[in-house]
Amino acid sequence: MTLALLAVLLLLVLINVPIAVALGLMTVVAILASGGFEALPNAGLLMFSGATKFPLIAIPLFILAGAIMNRSGISRRLVAFASAVFGFIRGGLSMVSISASMFFAEISGSAVADVAALGSILIPAMRKRGYSRSFAAAVTSSSATLAVIIPPSIPMILYGVMSGSSVVELFVAGIVPGVVGGVLMMFVAYLWARRNNLPMEEAFRIGRVWRTFREAGWSLLLPLIILGGIFSGWVTATEGAGLAVVAALVIGGLVYRELNLKGLREAMLECGHQTAVVMLLVAASALLGDFLTESRVPQQVAAAITAVTDSKLAILALLNLFLLVIGLFLHSAAAIILVVPIVMPLVQAMGIDPVHFGLIVTLNLGIGQQTPPVASVLVTACSVAKADIWKVTKANLWFIGVLLAILLLVTYVPAFSLSLVELFYR
Amino acid sequence: MPTVRSGRVTRVRQVFQRAMEVVVAALVAALALVVVLGVGFRQAGNALVWYDEVAAILLAWLTYYGAALVALSRGHIGVPMLVERLWGRARAVVVVVAEAAVIAFFLVLAWAGWQVQGALSGATLVSLPAVPAAIAQSVIPIGAMLFIVAQLLSLPEALRDDADDGAEGRNGVVGAGSHAGYGAP
Repeated sequence: MTLALLAVLLLLVLINVPIAVALGLMTVVAILASGGFEALPNAGLLMFSGATKFPLIAIPLFILAGAIMNRSGISRRLVAFASAVFGFIRGGLSMVSISASMFFAEISGSAVADVAALGSILIPAMRKRGYSRSFAAAVTSSSATLAVIIPPSIPMILYGVMSGSSVVELFVAGIVPGVVGGVLMMFVAYLWARRNNLPMEEAFRIGRVWRTFREAGWSLLLPLIILGGIFSGWVTATEGAGLAVVAALVIGGLVYRELNLKGLREAMLECGHQTAVVMLLVAASALLGDFLTESRVPQQVAAAITAVTDSKLAILALLNLFLLVIGLFLHSAAAIILVVPIVMPLVQAMGIDPVHFGLIVTLNLGIGQQTPPVASVLVTACSVAKADIWKVTKANLWFIGVLLAILLLVTYVPAFSLSLVELFYR
Repeated sequence: MPTVRSGRVTRVRQVFQRAMEVVVAALVAALALVVVLGVGFRQAGNALVWYDEVAAILLAWLTYYGAALVALSRGHIGVPMLVERLWGRARAVVVVVAEAAVIAFFLVLAWAGWQVQGALSGATLVSLPAVPAAIAQSVIPIGAMLFIVAQLLSLPEALRDDADDGAEGRNGVVGAGSHAGYGAP
């Protein structure tokens, strides 16, 4: 029965039925088979309650804050500041791209938004300075993915709710790996710049750093205050996201005065669109979750795997491989919703910290956003750069290498991600 | 080749899209407002009892009204790789089966949601006893029907897209691009 249902799901997904709908259909068939026609109205109740999870309200609010900031001239100011700081290094514009990505990630939490906002400024600028199309797209795309492990992060919110772990702890766990990864990426970009003789931008002048810092100051400081509020426990992640929206409105409307009604309308629709895509999956997964609990598939998977090996290292390697393959074919939101409920019992049986595993999942699926055929972030960067996806992937291998190195560190040195969490919350 | 008929579909589609955009934008604004008010009142030492429940319901409403708007531009996450490699009759069959599956699911959901409406008579929200629970849950039957309308209105365009990129679809690789919409975070 279970196998037949999974076959139905796979078939529906392969003929391009939206994954959320395929999940729902599969569960409706399962309900009919087990509880008969009288049980069917449950589908309506579950699809409603599945969409009412309070912690997930952080997702639309962070998306909205990012979308408003994006239409308020913040990207331009961040780039100017990063350029004043890093422009004197050879290949400086690629450093600007990496560092601006990491700042921007503190507001938006979405890698696609990151690439769309910064790529449209930085990729043309890099082209003008003699960078190849493929390198420009690769560096923008990879640094945006790295930025997803820097808080706030929408995949982490989703993982936190699906696995029942603390979103705040997940956010904190991402800080050190995110910053180390950024530094490593800058180093790789520097080596590339030396080899290809890419130009420097301008001499380092402290006056210019100060001036651009003051221009960008609000957009640099407010996310830190909001994250500070979340980390200190003053507000929840959801409420912090609400404050981020207020901050974005104040900065865009009153301080920079670049936000207009048209921009606000676009931002609200972008928020509605992205939220609905993710949330329909979440709601459908409530149906799936009920079915999984009854069929005990996750427990069977855990038992089958622990029967073969009980080495934590081997199982982590297996999970990494599995998640990387899934990431090749699925968007990260869909992958989290499908995979997390199935592997969680295994993760718990092996004594792997759920926060640690959350970072592993986010990184793996982030790498999946860089690897064709399904690679939402890479595709966005390529369309901004008008570059060929395979040529970009070739240049991108360097940066994917950095992401893999961080993934290995995170996986096998739990302290790398968990030290800060232990220090503050346990 | 725009015929009289497809012209009419386009016009209905535009009106539908505009209306859905207004609803979705209003829900986004309401959700943000409720959360911000919730924080404000709690910090002022006068917490609003209804804030969590109403915000969670608004999220569900945003989910389904938004989902119908997204369906109009075919933006839900799927795996189009296989279909993009097919052409001719095989492709037409697969597309029709997939459409039928989507519509069937939402018909079931609309029916299930309607049954729930009946069962909920007399029940109210926990924190706001004046508001019937049936109103909160009305989003399921309404959202499901709106999704079907959106799916049907965007069908002509989806079929046309299929015909257009059929040739490159055979050797193209990119996939996700046209279905990503604004892209999933």
